[in-house]
Amino acid sequence: MATRNSVFANPKPCEHLADYKLRHGLSGYKSIQKWLKANPYGNTSIKMCETKIPRCLFCSGYHQGRLFLCLICSSVSCSDHTLLHTQSEYGHDIAVDIERSELYCCLCSDQVYDPDFDKVVVSKIFYGYAKSKLLVSMSDRRAKSCYPLGLRGLNNLGSTCFMNSVLQALLHAPSFWNYFLTVYSGNRTPYSPAQFLYSWWHHSANLASYEQQDAHEFFISVLDGIHEREGKERNSNKDNGGCQCIAHRVFSGMLRSDVTCTACGFTSTTYDPCVDISLNMDTTNFSSVDVASKSVRPNEDTGRSTLLACLDLFTRPERLGSDQKLYCQNCQERRDSMKQMSIKRLPLVLSLHIKRFEHSSLRRSSRKIDWFLQFPFSLDMTPYLSPSIVRNRFGNRIFGFESDESDISSEFEVFAVVTHSGMLDSGHYVTYLRLQDQWYKCDDAWITEVDERIVRAAQCYMIFYVQKMLYCKANED
Amino acid sequence: MLERFMSVPNEDNMSPHTQLSSHFLGELLDSIIVDVASECHRIAKLGLDRNSEEEEEELRLSAQARVTVAAPSHSCETNGKYVVDIFGQTHPTVANEVFDCMNCGRPIVAGRFAPHLEKCMGKGRKARVKATRSSTAAQNRYSRGSPVSAYSPYSNSTGTHKLSNGTYNHTVEEYSNGTCEEP
Repeated sequence: MATRNSVFANPKPCEHLADYKLRHGLSGYKSIQKWLKANPYGNTSIKMCETKIPRCLFCSGYHQGRLFLCLICSSVSCSDHTLLHTQSEYGHDIAVDIERSELYCCLCSDQVYDPDFDKVVVSKIFYGYAKSKLLVSMSDRRAKSCYPLGLRGLNNLGSTCFMNSVLQALLHAPSFWNYFLTVYSGNRTPYSPAQFLYSWWHHSANLASYEQQDAHEFFISVLDGIHEREGKERNSNKDNGGCQCIAHRVFSGMLRSDVTCTACGFTSTTYDPCVDISLNMDTTNFSSVDVASKSVRPNEDTGRSTLLACLDLFTRPERLGSDQKLYCQNCQERRDSMKQMSIKRLPLVLSLHIKRFEHSSLRRSSRKIDWFLQFPFSLDMTPYLSPSIVRNRFGNRIFGFESDESDISSEFEVFAVVTHSGMLDSGHYVTYLRLQDQWYKCDDAWITEVDERIVRAAQCYMIFYVQKMLYCKANED
Repeated sequence: MLERFMSVPNEDNMSPHTQLSSHFLGELLDSIIVDVASECHRIAKLGLDRNSEEEEEELRLSAQARVTVAAPSHSCETNGKYVVDIFGQTHPTVANEVFDCMNCGRPIVAGRFAPHLEKCMGKGRKARVKATRSSTAAQNRYSRGSPVSAYSPYSNSTGTHKLSNGTYNHTVEEYSNGTCEEP
């Protein structure tokens, strides 16, 4: 990660750019600053004159590919004639693409990058309106010993597989398990989580009934119950960075939401804590593997998607409807806006929930989306973090971002997968656990070993990832 | 529009008007293509691109897994019942451990504990006196409102995405003993 950051922050200039910087410093960059025009979508272009369009000095062309502005003499050349310019004027090697505000070396015939130039461009984007406010809203068999401790079946108490599947995942969440010591007693006969059910129904009275339930809803309910129970003992210490109950210490992360005015580009940012991320399934993206095979178009039965596509969808800029115009502080009126989510802080354990439930209020019906969702065993969350997303919004310009340095790494390993099979109202939950590189299937009381391919091919509903360092540590024991 | 432009075979056959619009479309396309190229060039040069090798490897493993699992010779998930689990145990369809209910003290069979507890705690349809079941249950299951308000601000669950568990009857589906042989 260190190397990647240093390449980004200090890309190696070509000899011509290095030479230009030595001779002219930042004067060329500053001279074009007045002509920079940024649009709300993060693109910046150079507009020298309001009334005349720029033309190539040599051919007077204005539509042949790109146009480049020389940083020394401000003459314009088209892509065919940049070489001519640098040959006729010695040392005039560095130019700027007028449409895109990108540096161009005429001798290398290539786009080049300089943090100082990006800084000039970015400061222009922010110039003119108030800095975005950060509104922080107030997230045994015969050889029993060979199996990892803590592996134990859970009896189904009557349609409680939704509970058992989530419990299995929670029990094996690294750094969460200390709270459930009975499972680690060494006893291998199935455990009946009756007391747990009793406590839970006391806490979540509205969910207390012998009927079909949703595992994700149960998961949220359990974390909330733990928070409430512990919250009374430990003060939610704002200085400490939020609640310190075990549920939040393990699962809590922070989401960032940016709402951008499409007229002026002013962005308002809010932060919200979360204990998991619910993802819509994105089916517009197909991997090359799928395209090569026969079914390319998604239909009811054979649609498919990938977890990365869902995460892309989650962090994609979304145009808010015209009925959702938000008040822009810069324009001082309601404007059409774009919204974009990103992850400000990753939790220790990342729980991803796949929204397989579709509810149509129009038809008053609900259905389950059975599409296959590919998910990786190793997940790098870097592209979905706020610095990556925001930087990308500004054309990936090199500039400092508040939370570039983070203690938490963004590499994760899967350790539990809750799967659902069957129909909406009558299905079955099963959890797959990865312990010491072996996958186990936890089907209520039944614990069996399975090959990792079974897990890869399963219909995932909730996927639990843990930070790679924690995962490796847990597996050393 | 792109298809229409691409399908025009011969520039000579076009009217000047069509020629001009084709020309402009061509320029627009060129500009967009350069936009994309410029963005990708920056991402690549600044080391911001994603690790496509790892991603493709995961996709490949996943595709391979699906093929293996779907193969008729594959006996793991589709056919065969659970015989023994990894600890050499078998389990009945209905869990038969017996323990005392913590609410009423009576000994209850584990597999029937939930329905018993429901009545015992005075929850559930039959036990409830008020006829508010249908509205609250439906609301809790499908609405965005109540589950979120119960758990916010620490939950981002919208509450509309629920899949039910179902039968605990294991004889409905058939399983092997769990360990998979290589195909």
